[in-house]
Amino acid sequence: MAQMSNDDTRKKRNQRAADTAARLEAAAPLFGAGKEVSSDNTVALLEAVIRAGDIVNIEGNNQKQADFLAESLNKVDRSKIHDLHMVQSAVPLASHLDLFENGIAKKLDFAFGGPQAGRVAKFISEGKLQLGAIHTYLELFGRYFLDLTPRVSLICAFKADRKGNLYTGFNTEDTPTIVEATKFRQGIVIAQVNEIVDELPRVDIPGDWIDAVIQSPKPFFVEPLFTRDPGLITDNQILLAMLCLKGIYAEYGVTSMNHGIGFLTSAIELLLPTYGEELGLKGKICTHMILNPHPTMIPAIETDWVDTIHCFGGELGMEDYVASRPDVFFIGPDGTLRSNRAFAQTAGHYALDMFIGGTLQIDKYGNSSTATASRVAGFGGAPNMGCDAKGRRHSTGAWLQCGQELPSLDQQLGTMPRGKRLVVQGVETFGEGRQPVFVDKLDAWKLAENANLDLPPVMIYGDDLTHIVTEEGVAYLNRCPDLDSRMAAIRAVAGYTDIGLQAKPEETKRLREANIVKTPDDLGVDPSRATRAMLAAKSVKDLVTWSNGLYNPPSRFRNW
Amino acid sequence: MALHTVEFDIKLNTGTITIDVPTHTGVVGSSDMEVLMEPKDLEGGVSVRIVTPVTGFDDLWKRVLDKFVNETALSDTRIEINDNNATPAVVLLRLRQAFSQATTD
Amino acid sequence: MSKWNDLQEHSFLESNARDRALGIVDDGTFTELAGPFDRLSSPHLELLGDAVAFDDGLVSGVGRIGKTPVFVVSQEGRFIGGSIGEVGGAKMANTIKLAIDFHDKLVADYPDLSEEEKPVLVISFETGGVRLHESNAGLLAHAEVMDLFQKARGKVPVISLIGSKVGCFGGMGFVAAATDVIIMSEFGRLGLTGPEVIEQEMGKEEFDSSDRALVFRTTGGRHKYIIGDANFLVADTIAAFREKVAELAPLPVAAFEEMRRVGSPETVERQVRGVALAAEMHPQDARDVWAKAGNDDPASLTDMPLAAFLGQVKRLSV
Repeated sequence: MAQMSNDDTRKKRNQRAADTAARLEAAAPLFGAGKEVSSDNTVALLEAVIRAGDIVNIEGNNQKQADFLAESLNKVDRSKIHDLHMVQSAVPLASHLDLFENGIAKKLDFAFGGPQAGRVAKFISEGKLQLGAIHTYLELFGRYFLDLTPRVSLICAFKADRKGNLYTGFNTEDTPTIVEATKFRQGIVIAQVNEIVDELPRVDIPGDWIDAVIQSPKPFFVEPLFTRDPGLITDNQILLAMLCLKGIYAEYGVTSMNHGIGFLTSAIELLLPTYGEELGLKGKICTHMILNPHPTMIPAIETDWVDTIHCFGGELGMEDYVASRPDVFFIGPDGTLRSNRAFAQTAGHYALDMFIGGTLQIDKYGNSSTATASRVAGFGGAPNMGCDAKGRRHSTGAWLQCGQELPSLDQQLGTMPRGKRLVVQGVETFGEGRQPVFVDKLDAWKLAENANLDLPPVMIYGDDLTHIVTEEGVAYLNRCPDLDSRMAAIRAVAGYTDIGLQAKPEETKRLREANIVKTPDDLGVDPSRATRAMLAAKSVKDLVTWSNGLYNPPSRFRNW
Repeated sequence: MALHTVEFDIKLNTGTITIDVPTHTGVVGSSDMEVLMEPKDLEGGVSVRIVTPVTGFDDLWKRVLDKFVNETALSDTRIEINDNNATPAVVLLRLRQAFSQATTD
Repeated sequence: MSKWNDLQEHSFLESNARDRALGIVDDGTFTELAGPFDRLSSPHLELLGDAVAFDDGLVSGVGRIGKTPVFVVSQEGRFIGGSIGEVGGAKMANTIKLAIDFHDKLVADYPDLSEEEKPVLVISFETGGVRLHESNAGLLAHAEVMDLFQKARGKVPVISLIGSKVGCFGGMGFVAAATDVIIMSEFGRLGLTGPEVIEQEMGKEEFDSSDRALVFRTTGGRHKYIIGDANFLVADTIAAFREKVAELAPLPVAAFEEMRRVGSPETVERQVRGVALAAEMHPQDARDVWAKAGNDDPASLTDMPLAAFLGQVKRLSV
């Protein structure tokens, strides 16, 4: 038996820390006071601390962007820094993809492509970009703590103090997740901030987790992604919203949910104080929500529909309004919101009773995707919420009812009761340019071929989808005993698309008798009432009025 | 390329409803349409004329109009549509609005 | 409730051309002339394969407010941006001509007619000007309308209503400026060159047309009211526009002459003083002008509720 000794000769397990120290040592001359580095020295700093082949994260959220650091990374000497492996939740900026064009980055693991979706697909097919995988947010965050831990992270915050403490405030989003994963495996974290101050409103990220702070020449870019102008909501979207409220929200008494980004869910939000009130649903639905601060929620909040809203990110212009409603939103001791994408997605995955959103295509089996043949758009957070979380163990009325309606449950669990998340797709049967939403085969298959993906990118799988709402009515897919019956229910609400034209009248009649399909008439929804007069706010200006002047819409939404 | 015109007659034996007054509904905005509906003796039938910049949807127009005439039991009516790429959902909505206006005015 | 009653509280901004025409005059008095059943569509659009409208995007007709006959022209922005082509232009010009002829016949046949029994013309603008597909005919219509305004002057007062989505730009911006009185809502916009064209010609630094707040504070109702390009600013309902028209309609024609912003030696001098002021001030933003007019906190004027705005705003006098 070997003698234990203090002189440990086993392989060293602290090489990352030593390497980090060496890199920071090389950067030492670039530092000013404390952790401050002047923006002029940014490229030099990046060259000092990044090595070829590193896993690097540029904070690319759904909303806020470390844009200055992304542009600076494009300016490094590519003979020294190349083959980077980028891991980041979103790549919406041109500079994110320029890294691949410029030969600085080689591999990408991400969740959401946004406006760069076309370039992602193009670069993959040209061999400029090697795709790891397209993730959901939570999945990618999980891998930050598993096999995709960033060696260097380039993040952004509103403010820093001289010790490197950060205030991320309203748009905290992914920052805590990225910093924790990076720093606690001895990585390097560099923050761009809008201003460096003596005292922060509050500390969102402690300074000893941050290596360098740079005041960027311009404030970071934030996209008002979740602002929908009520002026653009159509009568058909209002009809769909009425069907959703009566056929699903009321039918199941859904209290907790996430609303997708589209105009349909904005219409639902704006119908709560009008049609929702008329149906007597206040207090019975929509009491707990996981949502960005949607401006279209203001009328419902002002009429006391909502108990709590936790946010993935912020929304430009909603700062003062949100701060004034601390009973509803999650507000720090300093009086401003703290969003957090990882926590909101966790709630979205495990705790919500319903996800409702839209899509570009639904196939005849109920699989849906927003992918087109030439764009790798990614999924963002929709699939985390748009699926049945099998690990869920707590019960609520809506969840239990949705599960108990599954005729096939006994085939899997015998007599054991179980609930199911409501996953709803609300679509008009034809989209823009008379493109059919219901299709035989998703364009995602073509994309998989064009971009060499292992799988067609599916946003929501058919077995997770429980309800489809179209202008033809509601299909209760969770009430279908088998795939044949699901396909028939999908046909019955697919209108005049090729899929819908295959519906047989006698079959649809049987589905209606079995309450698997309900038309507007069956639900007692009068389509002639579906007009903009139903909306609690018809314009952005109305939202400002509802907010008592606290909502300050971004310039592009102002028409006065 | 000139505008595309689709014309057809719909004759259902079940048609019993006639409209009282000629009516005009809708605006030819993008993805929208307008419709004129006028009472006309067509031996119980309905005649339809659609003018649209879009080709290749003649069957779809026929199906949507069939459904509308069927559900309303409309008869002895002339329908004229100026279309600017309206989806079937919008077409049905405008037709129903026009019908309700023509039968309640 | 009748449709007319429903319409009164409707947003003027959201209302289509026909509803604006119907709602601006007394209940049940509107008669549409050359309406959709006359099927006067554009022959040019048809040849080009573009969608046509039975009314060519312009509603014309006549109604009454109290004792005043009111001729109405109302433009539909959702149909090709409310642009003026051959048919719509002819409908507009002939409505004005009809109003003048009617006036002349009326005063000839009834010399004792009171002021409020004489006709007025109301134009609800929603247009970017000439329809490029049929530009010659469209331009000609602009010229005809301007010419007819001169003939109407001193006889038939012309009242502009501007509060629709497209605003009033291009050649029709000139036309609106040449009318006797302009009523706007804060959602209305009035200008000559549209924001996108300014950006295209002068660059994004000069004028960023995607900055809607900038576009509205440079061309919108509140600004136009402050600098005097608009005579009145009203709330965004058909009723509010209608009440203002009803208040003006019985006034003698001389009162309208006083509301004009152009077309007399005095107004020309005032315009020249305005140009001189602009040259002297070099305003970088509309708010500079608002401050010059005596508004201490110009930034607050944008979001202030309308009643408060009207109560405290100071208008530019040159």
